[in-house]
Amino acid sequence: MLKQELIAKNPIHHLSAGVEGKVSPRLGLVIARPGLGKTAMLVQIALDSLLNGQQVVHVSVGQSLEKTRIWYDDIFKDIVESCQLSNPYEIYDEVMRNRMIMTFKESDLTRPRLEERLNDLVYQNIIRPGCMVVDGYDFTKLDRQVLADLGEMAKAMDLQLWFSAVSTRDKQQAAGGQVPEPCREVADLFNTVVLLQPGANSECIDLNIIQDDTGGAHHDLVLQLDPITFMIKESC
Amino acid sequence: MRDLAKSRNIGISAHIDSGKTTLTERILFYTKRIHAIHEVRGKDGVGATMDSMELERERGITIASAATHCEWNEHPINIIDTPGHVDFTIEVERALRVLDGAILVLCSVGGVQSQSITVNRQMTRYRVPRIAFINKCDRTGANPDRVTQQLRDKLNLNAVALQVPIGLEADLAGIVDLVSMKAYFYEGEHGDQIRVGEIPDNLKDEVETKREALLDAASMFDDELMEAVLEGTPTEEQIIRAIRKGTLSLEMTPVMVGSAYKNKGVQALLDAVTNYLPAPAEVTNYALDLNQDESEFKVTNDPKDSLIALAFKLEDGRYGQLTYLRTYQGTIKKGDSIVNVRTGKKVKVGRLVRMHADDMEDIEESGAGDIVALFGIDCASGDTFTDGIHNCSMSSMHIPSPVISLAIKPIDNKNQVNMSKALNRFSKEDPTFRTHVDSETNETIISGMGELHLDVYVERMKREYSAVVEVGAPRVAYRETITQRAEFNYTHKKQTGGSGQFGRVAGYIEPLEEGDYEFVDKIVGGVIPREFISSCDKGFHKSMEKGALIGAPIVGVRCVINDGAAHAVDSSDVAFQLASVGAFREGYLKAKPVIMEPIMKVAVEGPTEFQGTIMGSLNQRRGIIIGTTEEDNYTVVEAEVPLSEMFGYSTDLRSLTQGKAEFTMEFAAYRPVPKSVSEELIAEAKKEKEKR
Repeated sequence: MLKQELIAKNPIHHLSAGVEGKVSPRLGLVIARPGLGKTAMLVQIALDSLLNGQQVVHVSVGQSLEKTRIWYDDIFKDIVESCQLSNPYEIYDEVMRNRMIMTFKESDLTRPRLEERLNDLVYQNIIRPGCMVVDGYDFTKLDRQVLADLGEMAKAMDLQLWFSAVSTRDKQQAAGGQVPEPCREVADLFNTVVLLQPGANSECIDLNIIQDDTGGAHHDLVLQLDPITFMIKESC
Repeated sequence: MRDLAKSRNIGISAHIDSGKTTLTERILFYTKRIHAIHEVRGKDGVGATMDSMELERERGITIASAATHCEWNEHPINIIDTPGHVDFTIEVERALRVLDGAILVLCSVGGVQSQSITVNRQMTRYRVPRIAFINKCDRTGANPDRVTQQLRDKLNLNAVALQVPIGLEADLAGIVDLVSMKAYFYEGEHGDQIRVGEIPDNLKDEVETKREALLDAASMFDDELMEAVLEGTPTEEQIIRAIRKGTLSLEMTPVMVGSAYKNKGVQALLDAVTNYLPAPAEVTNYALDLNQDESEFKVTNDPKDSLIALAFKLEDGRYGQLTYLRTYQGTIKKGDSIVNVRTGKKVKVGRLVRMHADDMEDIEESGAGDIVALFGIDCASGDTFTDGIHNCSMSSMHIPSPVISLAIKPIDNKNQVNMSKALNRFSKEDPTFRTHVDSETNETIISGMGELHLDVYVERMKREYSAVVEVGAPRVAYRETITQRAEFNYTHKKQTGGSGQFGRVAGYIEPLEEGDYEFVDKIVGGVIPREFISSCDKGFHKSMEKGALIGAPIVGVRCVINDGAAHAVDSSDVAFQLASVGAFREGYLKAKPVIMEPIMKVAVEGPTEFQGTIMGSLNQRRGIIIGTTEEDNYTVVEAEVPLSEMFGYSTDLRSLTQGKAEFTMEFAAYRPVPKSVSEELIAEAKKEKEKR
């Protein structure tokens, strides 16, 4: 299989593709209870951008560089295995060349700091990201202004910015399709919000797009995560 | 017979210039193994006792890990002095393999530096319990508290202070021991008169807080101590026992302070070694069972079991080759016969000695957990010895292949003889150091793991073997490989006059993912007679030595033959070898060959303000930046950079960051070079060929 087919076949493009299939700058959120595959989901979003020829910055809060790297290796391996790529090593090399991981301590992640880092990278022509994922950001201590700042920065730099958040136990949201705590107050800042939940009728994890204003996502489509590999697929 | 429970095998590991050799020297002095103190950079020109190699004396660094024996309070202690530079990692790792506990020496000013991080990581990998010793508390700017905090933050150790220094910098007079709650003053010219006194008033508050922290941390490991603390009556023994438990489980790292150079706190450190570091029997060591695909099994540490021992270090002394040996189980006696597992050869133990840097004492036998030296045994470093019962190895047989090479040329005939003696010795001592003669240029090529690695051997050649050599520019060890399958069908024919030669070989070559070379015989119906199959194998294998692109060795090729032809009279071994060489040449260029270069994993650390500069410098050198780790005001940038671009990086980095950043690098993998570089290399190789 060739790279182009791989991109087309990857179900994630239903999610990340904007109008006319073009990836548009946006602020996205993946929210779920612990252990349902948030990081895996972010890595798949990142890999999708990478395969589309974009460069990606992965910001990891509180996790080591090595661990994050292993996530990419594992998920890439799963993709290769499921599609029987003809030249996995070449693609892997290319993909890794365009990815950069930054790890921060919680307290160090602010817009000025991140912006300074990104500007450094762009200015020196090291990497010019089209997509950035932020994993492990603690939304319980969130300052609305910081998030709004980051969203603005994403717009200014023309990149899609995805966050992951751990949802707290909250019975109300399940029925109403609302964004769960602790992100309810800031939900309006996001263009797209994806909720991961254990599937009602199967062992798979449901991927619910509960908020989207980019107009690109297919609302009628059922996307799920494989409970073992955390790979996105169209349905179990 | 010595008491196994009392003996200690320890290493002293640290960043360059943290004063580890000085510390070892003081330990030997206080344990009465030596009777005078020499400094590493001493004015008396004698040099520290442990640095038995002249070169080490000159550079002020310790290269080879000499083992030495001493005794403290009836505890026999073997000290293995380990090298601090990353280029000698195989020696560090081998040393870590043999020791049961370690002292991690840190500079009170420099704190946790990059090398400490590497060493700490290695120690964690081998599960070595450790004590931290914050040395050089007499230096201006000394701040042991900051270093203790760094141990927690940077090395993730549960560092707990056991002492409080009395005065710092020039005022350093002694230490307060938080376990016994007494003050110790080290007096006399060599600090050997210890005066026990009251805790100075100005330190009382600090001592109280730190003691509490110590008791809190220690009581996590011992319920009895926890109860005693609650009742307010913990005894010294209870505290020591709890700290020991914590240290052995690697969940706690006691922190000691002092200054080896000013003779402060070394005796207390020795007490800590006997109190908190494990005896050989308390450590679980694993051997690799060679009958079962290197699966691990525990060694027993029992002197009555069958013998398993590891030769971890060779030295060339006045009496021939000296082999340092650590016994893991069983007993080795003078006159015994032991088997070298690697070669399968039986050797006789002629003389058994216990080493002290340069002197030695003869002994009759040595039991499990001991470290001794043997005379006149032919082996290489890392060999395992048994009494023939076990087929196992203490260290894996996998050795990384060298990444850099250097042409050397002796200046005259006499030096030639000395040089070959030296090379022979070094390659036995260090498996990552290789040597060969280039068949085309007739130059002697040495190869190893880094620039400094080779530098040190060239120096040692001069000093220890008085072999003076001219040195060429360092060269990166390139490789060639193929990227796709290609067919060949080649006929070698020479049938004009005399005995003829005939052979036809057909098949294909294809990339091999694991391993360097594989030969597959798919001939059916005997079109190539049986006896010539091995000739084909030989011919292909020979072709792998030099690639057609730049003459670098070829790796990762599977050669498959599936057809051919032979002549009843004219076919011969030579004919088929030549046919295979031709066939390989035919297939090789069709298989899209590429040049591969060694890629190093580089980690640069420095203040955050230089992060952009550091990334830029790596990017310029064709590096792929993998990521950054930011913590407070410190950044670590990790990247993969081709070795060929790393020459002179340390100088560049220093000037770019005002000397505030440093880097470590280790071999990561071989990868294809980019097209532009590949063309350059091919043009260069062509030019050189024409020159000849």
